[in-house]
Amino acid sequence: MISKTLMKQTVKNNIVLWAVLTGIQVLMVAGVASAGTNLQQTALAYYNMLPGLISAIYVIITGNKLLAQQVDKGTMAYVLSNPIKRSKVTATQAVFFLGSLFLMFALSAASHCIAHYIGSGGITATEIGHVVLLNLGLFCLNAALSGVCFLASSVFNLSKYAIAVGGGLVGAQILMSIMGMFGETFQWMRNFTLVTLFDIGSVLSPEPDSNAFVWKFIVLAAVGMITYTIGSVAFSKRDLPL
Amino acid sequence: MSQLNDIIDIQDLTKDFGQERGIFGVNLQIRQGEVFGLAGINGSGKSTIMRHLMGFLHPSNGRSSIAGKDCWHSAAEIKRKVGYIPGEIAFPDVNSGLDFLHLQADYMGLRSMSYANELIEQLNLDPTAKLKRMSKGMKQKTAIVNAFMCDSDILLLDEPTTGLDPLMQKSFTEIIKQEKKKGKTIFMSSHMWGEMESTCDRVAFLKEGRIVHVVDMKTILGNELNKEYKIEFNNQNDYSAILARPFDFIQKKEEYNQVVIRVLDTDVNKLFDVLSTMDVRFISHKPYTLEACFREIYNQMEVS
Repeated sequence: MISKTLMKQTVKNNIVLWAVLTGIQVLMVAGVASAGTNLQQTALAYYNMLPGLISAIYVIITGNKLLAQQVDKGTMAYVLSNPIKRSKVTATQAVFFLGSLFLMFALSAASHCIAHYIGSGGITATEIGHVVLLNLGLFCLNAALSGVCFLASSVFNLSKYAIAVGGGLVGAQILMSIMGMFGETFQWMRNFTLVTLFDIGSVLSPEPDSNAFVWKFIVLAAVGMITYTIGSVAFSKRDLPL
Repeated sequence: MSQLNDIIDIQDLTKDFGQERGIFGVNLQIRQGEVFGLAGINGSGKSTIMRHLMGFLHPSNGRSSIAGKDCWHSAAEIKRKVGYIPGEIAFPDVNSGLDFLHLQADYMGLRSMSYANELIEQLNLDPTAKLKRMSKGMKQKTAIVNAFMCDSDILLLDEPTTGLDPLMQKSFTEIIKQEKKKGKTIFMSSHMWGEMESTCDRVAFLKEGRIVHVVDMKTILGNELNKEYKIEFNNQNDYSAILARPFDFIQKKEEYNQVVIRVLDTDVNKLFDVLSTMDVRFISHKPYTLEACFREIYNQMEVS
């Protein structure tokens, strides 16, 4: 399914940015959660604003590096001069992209729980559940956003177009979700961004049958699956100017 | 037409990039164990043919296959048997030349680097140098080692000697000869005439994406039936006398009393009959070179 050699190479080339951004995120959530306040409030404050921004940087830069940049520079010629199918190349890159995002939010969730435990002198099972769900939601959101960048990276020969289109779309989504928070005038924008499907309110709702977030997370995951699949197929079928 | 021992088979291969650019109806059959050269000016489509063979480009029309497998559909499978030097070398993001060679060996499942080390020595390469600091020639050498180290049966070399100094070009020629002895099939594009003359069995001329001629090296470089001789006389009388004879004069240099005559091997005795009564300073044979052949065909094409 995936190429071990390429995976090693991909990890080597992308781990620094991943480590820096994951580190920032882990420290940030720890800082917010260790204040000792109610988890509901810290969660609303934190998950509404910050993590989307940090992971978006990672998604945009890494998305480009995984395919488009290698075609642009011509280094992909040396990958494909080996007995590796193009579909194996895309599968390897996709597994890395999704895996690194999953790990990013797993670490954030762990950091959140630990910091809350220390800051508040304990943590309930419900609270752990909330943190896990929120980070799962963030992962689903980023699966969708990274899929958009992966698709752009698959179809463009030049980095600048992959960044402009992939990064532009992801940036616009994040921006619209932030604008949407600034009062009535911009409220409508929330209808046009995937970020809205990361329904924090529904996750944190005290009502026991509040599960609107479930289908929303599924939609996000589905967007990710579709964009990754189309990207892989497109990359396998197109001319590469190597 | 294609035969069983044609290891590389290109049939009516067409890739139209628009504006007259691309390759059009290319037909080439390369036999097992053959060293085949592809010549042509910049932009004539040499790399485009290579890229089809590597499965990077999908043909607009026609097909190409290596060892019976389609170059587009079985691209990955074919690579088990193919060593490749890209026309434009861009190494992956690794530290040194050695790191790169190990990375590629890892992809190919190559365990022993002994042949790689042999090649490194032959090319006088320092593989521990950082890739980013390497000169063009060093990069090219690294690419050459990479292409040959897996002992692949088929080699696709896109301008393999660009950036190499003349001494290294010679080492490269030696490597090609040694690979040919092992029975390797080599398909290379180049614009170094000398290099192709000393290695290739056949050379195809490419012009504006079309094959205009394929030369068998056995028919040139002194083996041509129609040979050119440069003859210089000691006096002007003989010079004038020979001009009166019905020979095919390619060149006349009155100031040296010198002529260049083209004679068919079957008529060569007629020439010597005439010369036997004359005062000849020297006579030398001018072998028909690949370059002369290329120029001739190229000019014919331009005129028509």
